[in-house]
Amino acid sequence: MKHNEMLAMILAGGRGSRLKDLTKKVAKPAVSFGGKYRIVDFPLSNCVNSGISVVGVLTQYESVLLNSYVAGGAHWGLNTRDSGVYVLPPREKADENLNVYRGTADAISQNIDFIDNYDPEYLLILSGDHIYKMNYDDMLNFHKEKKAEATIAVIGVPMKEASRFGIMNTDENGKIIEFEEKPAHPKSNLASMGIYIFNWKTLRRILIADMKDPESHHDFGKDIIPALLDEGKTLAAYQFKGYWKDVGTIDSLWEANMDLLDDRSGLNLSDTWKIYTADASELPQYIGEKANIDEAYMTQGCIVEGDVRHSVLFTGTEVKEGAKVTDTVLMPNATVGEGAVVTRALVAGGVTIGKGAVVGSADSENILLVARNVKGEE
Amino acid sequence: MAGAYGIVISTGNNINVEGLQDYRPVGAFSYLGRYRMVDFPVSNLSNSGIDRIQVYVSQNPRSLAEHLGSGTQYNINPKKGKLQLLFNQDSRVNKIYNTDTAAFLANMNIIERMQQEYVIVTTASMIFKQDFQAFLKAHIESGADISLLYQKVNDAKTKYQGCQVLDLNRQKGLNSICVNTQTANERNVFMETYVMRNDLFIDLIKRTAKTSSVYSLADFINEEHANLDIRGLQHKGYFAAITDLKSYYDANLELLDIRKANELFTSDWPIYTVTTDSCPVEYKKGAVVRNSMVANGCIIEGTVENSVIGRGVIIKAGAVVRNSLVLGHTFIDKDIHIENQIIDKWASIRHVKEITADASNPGYVKRDDVL
Repeated sequence: MKHNEMLAMILAGGRGSRLKDLTKKVAKPAVSFGGKYRIVDFPLSNCVNSGISVVGVLTQYESVLLNSYVAGGAHWGLNTRDSGVYVLPPREKADENLNVYRGTADAISQNIDFIDNYDPEYLLILSGDHIYKMNYDDMLNFHKEKKAEATIAVIGVPMKEASRFGIMNTDENGKIIEFEEKPAHPKSNLASMGIYIFNWKTLRRILIADMKDPESHHDFGKDIIPALLDEGKTLAAYQFKGYWKDVGTIDSLWEANMDLLDDRSGLNLSDTWKIYTADASELPQYIGEKANIDEAYMTQGCIVEGDVRHSVLFTGTEVKEGAKVTDTVLMPNATVGEGAVVTRALVAGGVTIGKGAVVGSADSENILLVARNVKGEE
Repeated sequence: MAGAYGIVISTGNNINVEGLQDYRPVGAFSYLGRYRMVDFPVSNLSNSGIDRIQVYVSQNPRSLAEHLGSGTQYNINPKKGKLQLLFNQDSRVNKIYNTDTAAFLANMNIIERMQQEYVIVTTASMIFKQDFQAFLKAHIESGADISLLYQKVNDAKTKYQGCQVLDLNRQKGLNSICVNTQTANERNVFMETYVMRNDLFIDLIKRTAKTSSVYSLADFINEEHANLDIRGLQHKGYFAAITDLKSYYDANLELLDIRKANELFTSDWPIYTVTTDSCPVEYKKGAVVRNSMVANGCIIEGTVENSVIGRGVIIKAGAVVRNSLVLGHTFIDKDIHIENQIIDKWASIRHVKEITADASNPGYVKRDDVL
């Protein structure tokens, strides 16, 4: 049997309430992205492409769809003999009652038995709500080179936005000396990407102590990283250069989709680092006789008879004759009726915009989320 | 419900598709940009709850073997069911020996071991959807020995060259099977699909071989029609037969009529295929696309009209592709004009200014060629 040097755990329990109606019945990692994908396809595909074969997915909030989506792991080829994707919701144990995951660290603590089964050297912690492509094996090599106890992936953000992130302050060798969660006066612009590699033995010990600490928030950023720093352990910052985006709000989710239309954005899904997803049994997209397409990102199952400009169309969407769709994201099976005009909007899955309806506007500050059917002309 | 297993024939002696056939059997031909022909019979069988399926191939098995895999993409449970690729060596002496009967004989031990009471034989050279459970039920209820599936057509003078047609009496009993002579428009085209008991099937194969080494099963059934109760069962709905390059081209492009496509593709009868994990299509500024089907993974900067574009095709700015079938991973450079062409996979069109042909006789560009 191949030894699992590094096991990955994806924290997928968050509510994602800033995505409003999109996460009403669906956990954030299961939200659709980029025409045919779901957000969780990105960390899972990164794992596969980095040579990781066992991934735990920690779920809690509205996890029915997410569970059925990731279970089995076949979409990512993680269904071979020694690989697997395991959905890990909170469970009742022999010596204690059912506890919900009290924080990101607690979610791992409650699954120490699962991790121990694989006896990994290293544990990779990921979050299920970012769009990026990253080779975790490169990060592991860096972690070994630095002889660190923990390595945290960081990305440079504009200084004026740094106070929105968890900021790592490092010395000249890239060693982390301080971690500040959303500092009012940031000392550095290196934001944590929520991607950690830990030496499992060390993390395991700290987690067991953390579980018993009544003062703890059981959170990696607030409790575990500071505890390691207090012990004087070596924590390394692994600087990532490339596209990375938190898609936690309607605006940022829309922006990340629009980045697919921009060659300069750095987000490219057509290179050899493939993102895998469930396949839809749908026809190739059909562009009609009277359609006009100008800058669009579209997937199979779409039918376009109207005008589509600078927009992203997901599986099974339909744009009827005379309709105009501009700067818009249409999620799976959304329909835009004849002559309807949709501008700067994110239309949720299955929503129908009626004939002749006008939705959104070119000069709106925020992106309009359309989560309910819009009535058109009778 | 009585059990049946399925047999899919993926080659055919009456099929002559120049170019494409040099590389793969008809079952592995690309269809509508993302499918292969074999996806239709296998999906039909799987959707009908028939999960023991044998696909016969006699040459160039690589592309089919790769495509079929273990069959899980066809919704076949690999524990309960099985998708088998059965190989027989084509005769090098003379192609008249390469009959379906020869393929069945080469795999007779497997056919004799099948536990199912009935066998449904169908083809990968024709496109249609058919509920085989309903077909089997109609066959059993009729009490016939063999039932043959056919399509009533009114354009047999110009199409279905080399196909077999059924002459049926008023009770749908078989008078004869013969080759379409293209002398009349109204014909019952045999869809190379039949159902019978497996023991009768085994008996017929053995007797065919004893009668003539160059007889197909249909040839023998035709001779035996007086001794057996053989009936036609009519199929309705979309139907296309691939017999030559033109019919292959037409069968793809005619589905740009979305009503026709909707007849073949319905949500309750999915046609499965293998995913290649290609990303969605990117249409750049300046792209003009009309009445076309485009498979995932393409990057389109130029003009595409009345065409079917396969996966991962790149069409650069200023290029014009009209009335063409462009198979996967082809590259078409700037300002090149393509009209009425079938461009095989991985071709790269860089140095010529235009490739055009007459609509009635589409051109063919070879696989992997650089032009």
